[in-house]
Amino acid sequence: MTGGGAAWLVRRLIASLAIIFAVVTFVFILIHVAPGKPCPENVDPGVCDQLNQQFGLDKPILEQYWRYLVELAHGNLGYSFSLHRPVLEAIAETLPFTLQLAGAALVLDFLLGLGLGIYQAGRVNRLPDVVLGNVTLFIYSLPTFWLALLLLLVFGEKLRWFPVGGASDPVLCPVVHSLYCAADRLWHMVLPAATLGLVGAAGTARFQRAAMLEVATQDYVRTARAKGLPERRVVLRHQLRNALLSFITRFGLAFPFLLTGAVLIETIFAWPGMGRLAFEAILMRDYPLVTATALFASTVVVAGNLVADILLGIADPRLRVRAGVEVETATA
Amino acid sequence: MLRRSPLRLSVYVVLVVAVLASAGCERRGGCTGSNCGTLINAAVGEPATLLPPSSEDIVANDIGEQLFLKLADVGMSENTLGDEDFQALLAQKWEWDGPRTLVFHLDPRARWQDGQPVTAADVEFTFNAYNDSAVGSPYRPKLHRIASVTQRDSLTAVFRFKERYPEMFYDAVYHMRILPAHLLRPVPRDQWRNAPFGRQPVGDGPYRFVRWQAAQSIELVADSTFFLGRPGIRRLIWRFTPNLQVAVQQAIADEADVREQLVTPDNVERARAAKQLAVYTYRGNVYTLLWFNQRSPDDSTLPHPIFADRDVRRALTMAVDRASLLKSALGELAKVPPGPMSELLGIWDPDIRQLPYDTAQAARILSAHGWRDHDGDGVRDKNGQPLEFHVLVPTTSVLRRQYARLLQEQYRAIGVKVDIDELEAAVVNQRAATGKFDTAILSRANDPSPSSGIAQSWTRAGFGGSNFGRYYNPELERLVDRAVTANTRDQARALWRAAMETVNADAPGIFLYALDNVAAVHKRVENVQFRPDSWAALLRTWRIPPDRLIDRDRVER
Amino acid sequence: MTFGTWFALFVALVVAAEAVRALRHRGLRQERWRRFFRHRTTTWGLGILTFLVIMALAAPLIAPFEPNRQLDILHLTNHPPSWTFLLGTDYLSRDVWSRAVYGARVSLGIGALGALVAVSLGTLVGAAAGYYQRWIDAVLMRGVDVGLALPRIFILLMAVALWDGLPFAALVIAIGLTSWFGTSRLVRAEVLSLRQRDFVVAAHALGAGTGRVIFRHVLPNAAAPIIVSAALGVGNVLLLEAALSFLGIGIKPPDASWGNMIADGASSIYTAPWSTLFPGLAISLVVMSLNAVADGVRDALDPRGEPS
Repeated sequence: MTGGGAAWLVRRLIASLAIIFAVVTFVFILIHVAPGKPCPENVDPGVCDQLNQQFGLDKPILEQYWRYLVELAHGNLGYSFSLHRPVLEAIAETLPFTLQLAGAALVLDFLLGLGLGIYQAGRVNRLPDVVLGNVTLFIYSLPTFWLALLLLLVFGEKLRWFPVGGASDPVLCPVVHSLYCAADRLWHMVLPAATLGLVGAAGTARFQRAAMLEVATQDYVRTARAKGLPERRVVLRHQLRNALLSFITRFGLAFPFLLTGAVLIETIFAWPGMGRLAFEAILMRDYPLVTATALFASTVVVAGNLVADILLGIADPRLRVRAGVEVETATA
Repeated sequence: MLRRSPLRLSVYVVLVVAVLASAGCERRGGCTGSNCGTLINAAVGEPATLLPPSSEDIVANDIGEQLFLKLADVGMSENTLGDEDFQALLAQKWEWDGPRTLVFHLDPRARWQDGQPVTAADVEFTFNAYNDSAVGSPYRPKLHRIASVTQRDSLTAVFRFKERYPEMFYDAVYHMRILPAHLLRPVPRDQWRNAPFGRQPVGDGPYRFVRWQAAQSIELVADSTFFLGRPGIRRLIWRFTPNLQVAVQQAIADEADVREQLVTPDNVERARAAKQLAVYTYRGNVYTLLWFNQRSPDDSTLPHPIFADRDVRRALTMAVDRASLLKSALGELAKVPPGPMSELLGIWDPDIRQLPYDTAQAARILSAHGWRDHDGDGVRDKNGQPLEFHVLVPTTSVLRRQYARLLQEQYRAIGVKVDIDELEAAVVNQRAATGKFDTAILSRANDPSPSSGIAQSWTRAGFGGSNFGRYYNPELERLVDRAVTANTRDQARALWRAAMETVNADAPGIFLYALDNVAAVHKRVENVQFRPDSWAALLRTWRIPPDRLIDRDRVER
Repeated sequence: MTFGTWFALFVALVVAAEAVRALRHRGLRQERWRRFFRHRTTTWGLGILTFLVIMALAAPLIAPFEPNRQLDILHLTNHPPSWTFLLGTDYLSRDVWSRAVYGARVSLGIGALGALVAVSLGTLVGAAAGYYQRWIDAVLMRGVDVGLALPRIFILLMAVALWDGLPFAALVIAIGLTSWFGTSRLVRAEVLSLRQRDFVVAAHALGAGTGRVIFRHVLPNAAAPIIVSAALGVGNVLLLEAALSFLGIGIKPPDASWGNMIADGASSIYTAPWSTLFPGLAISLVVMSLNAVADGVRDALDPRGEPS
């Protein structure tokens, strides 16, 4: 990368950090705007003290804000009064599970979505395209939690192909210490990742198809065709590369969808990730835990966008600007 | 690239399949013989702590049964009078040293899992801890008739009682699990609830704690040197599921071996249809009720605007068709309780006088007390306040959520508006304990004797404890006192009956159902015994014969 | 289902079909409408949407039973679909069809309200950013970045955790308030490109005020992304509401919403799959139709067409 590239990278990093800082501030404001005592009545005094220390509840608001930031910087996210342990500990245990699930879903999403999109664009308006177009439209419109219930019923209970929930075999692999256990974890991951991945793939396929068709009409592609280059080269070189650029842009936007989906999917499949943690924290009205999960979720999203921007910057230096991209995604 | 990627993809797929296939080889071999076996229990809800005095949680209790011993325990007959029907555990023998003094001689073979012997000092320490208000144990009120526990020597513990009554022995042994003084003495009493010991317990029971994977499972392994006999099954795993449905699904899909309560007729049917499961029925020890809070949820010194009035409570109880609700939700798997009891209690008697189902009378009483529909919106009101209240239900119980909706509809028919609040079980219990609720649908597990449970939930001794609704009737207190100290069984029965009828007449809650327990256990498990008051109490006697071992039994770790 | 309700249902179907056909016929004269109706899926989507809206509006006429009435808890629980109970009954002996019809009101209403809030806010912000540019644009777009960083469901979960007893209307507004970020980006892009066009310059030259220019000249030409956002927005809000109701923090019992119908039926999915199946299909159908219509609008108003 050129010197300008490095400066650009630094600018993007600073921008990302600024966004996270703004999110942190927003969360703080939200907590303080909400009514009601932050310390539930029947909680142990030790926990109340911790909450007071973290939020400085009786001090002026700016001082509270400062203490909040200081505590965050030290990694103190507070104490979960429902789980009786520090919030950071609870999240540290569950975040890897969510990332694994999101990663697997992402892989499935893009492999399948790209494949379908390219395939459809190659046979545009013929029967396979029309059929697949309707299928992807249907799957894209499904509520993910409904799909999850159906998959669990059919593949988990009736066909017994995959386990009914959980992340691992509690007997053999409570901890992943061998190749077998890694495979066991993958096997448990199939259904939940498939649910997220299928719906994502349907969206990606639709988008990719549109993107590739759009590129196909552009002048340089027509020129390449007119020059008499073999069809395969035209497709491979030009269409694919430029369509991939828009795909990378979309990659950054997949994260909010995955994290939102994670809350529902993890709950249904008893996958011990951060999404399920957030949901159970809600049921227990454990707001330090909920707010911490929100912060982590935002960090993941921002990181994802940053990675997408970097990839985009590497792939096409012209596009080192966060353009207003025309994508809409369903995020539930 | 397009042409090469399918090939590359298929290579990856083949690799993954090969890994999975070869990894299957890891399973064979390992444990053979008669003390192998892994039993996976599909548990609903994760406990907060495994420290016995700090936890009323059912799962924590089941696990506590395997880790910590009592001095003695009830037998299968569930007889709590005298001391003949009890099984010796930590106490090898005992004798009476005077009308109010009980002396236990501990078994010298008993050891804590860190090697230290179990001594009478532990017994003394345990009683003082259970009795300490800083620990805040829910079992504390049950021990109020014991004056003191002291050690005469390292293996002899002396219990002194305040008075003489038939269940002295039961009170001395049943409620407390003996704790290791040398490990818990340093922990400040007011921090017992959050103590690390609760997440990594050291006990003296047939099983040893191995690991607790948060939100996933707790694993125990058998102590082969256990002085009362080596446990039949080598490994016990409690696997946490978010609700009953998933737990039953896991049992049916052969991912769990035990589901100690199937609850609904649907689940029972599915379990019977599952080839690898055997279904067992045993007397239920749980009853569920809609609890009325007689104090205001915002300020417990003030009476509740609706439920403080006895007649209104009676009317609201008469408005509910308990039998139909039960039939709809549970079919034949439960019975309408004739009072705050389950079938485990010997005083169960369908002829005990209860309030009838009579919506006409209910409507009359409500109208007579000023609750009329003045503004024509279908909801009764008085002085501008609608007859509306909230029902608190835990999200983990599908059955109770169903009941909440059934009750909502029953009450709508007589002009009462019900709002349903569904929260996590722990929060529901918290709010119940602190009186911050209108009504709540709660389940109570009975001890084998009514003397502990009834007093806890329905007398003044339970204020701040299990008497969530702050119900108080001095007549009831008298009857309960006399029943506990009655000399003959028949006298006691008659007194308990009168007590129950008093409770029913006051309608502190609506006693909705008492489940008949139906459990599903994997067919390969032998000698399955369920003691009704605590299904897991006899787990150490279950066995898996060597010729019926399956893959997960053979794992050696 | 009684004769009256069958008739009402039939009438709704016919009205929807005729309305769409009439629209199509009338539109054939204009290029844009021709492009809109070119794909069969768009026509079907519009028809289905119209039918569902009519059904929701005419719910009392079409639903044979009261949606929350437990008809007979002893004999009619989990009854399979029949002529009386078109979609069967659920575990509390409530008619699934009636609940679905009334649930359409709730779900579609919430979808519309949420989308309205989202699109209005998004259009305003995007137009302001695109029109005024410079620091207003920078500030607003940074705000949008922050908004896009927080996954919606977490904000909503936080709101539920912090405000005990939050009324559902407030939650719907909150859903709207968290859904406008994408729209604002699109509108901004559109406004940016339109700003330079002749008619805008002309309007300025003629002395039109900023507001007038934005509302009467710029926005109507930026209609494409706005309408598409609105259509997709309804779908998004609907899915989100369904998810929240499924998790138990949405519409409270006994009222029906498609989301909490799925939750209610989840426990008996093995023995009575219809109570979960049909609400899920309904949601898919609505979202699918909205997507199809959005596709059509994009097709119609976007100058770049697909090769045929």
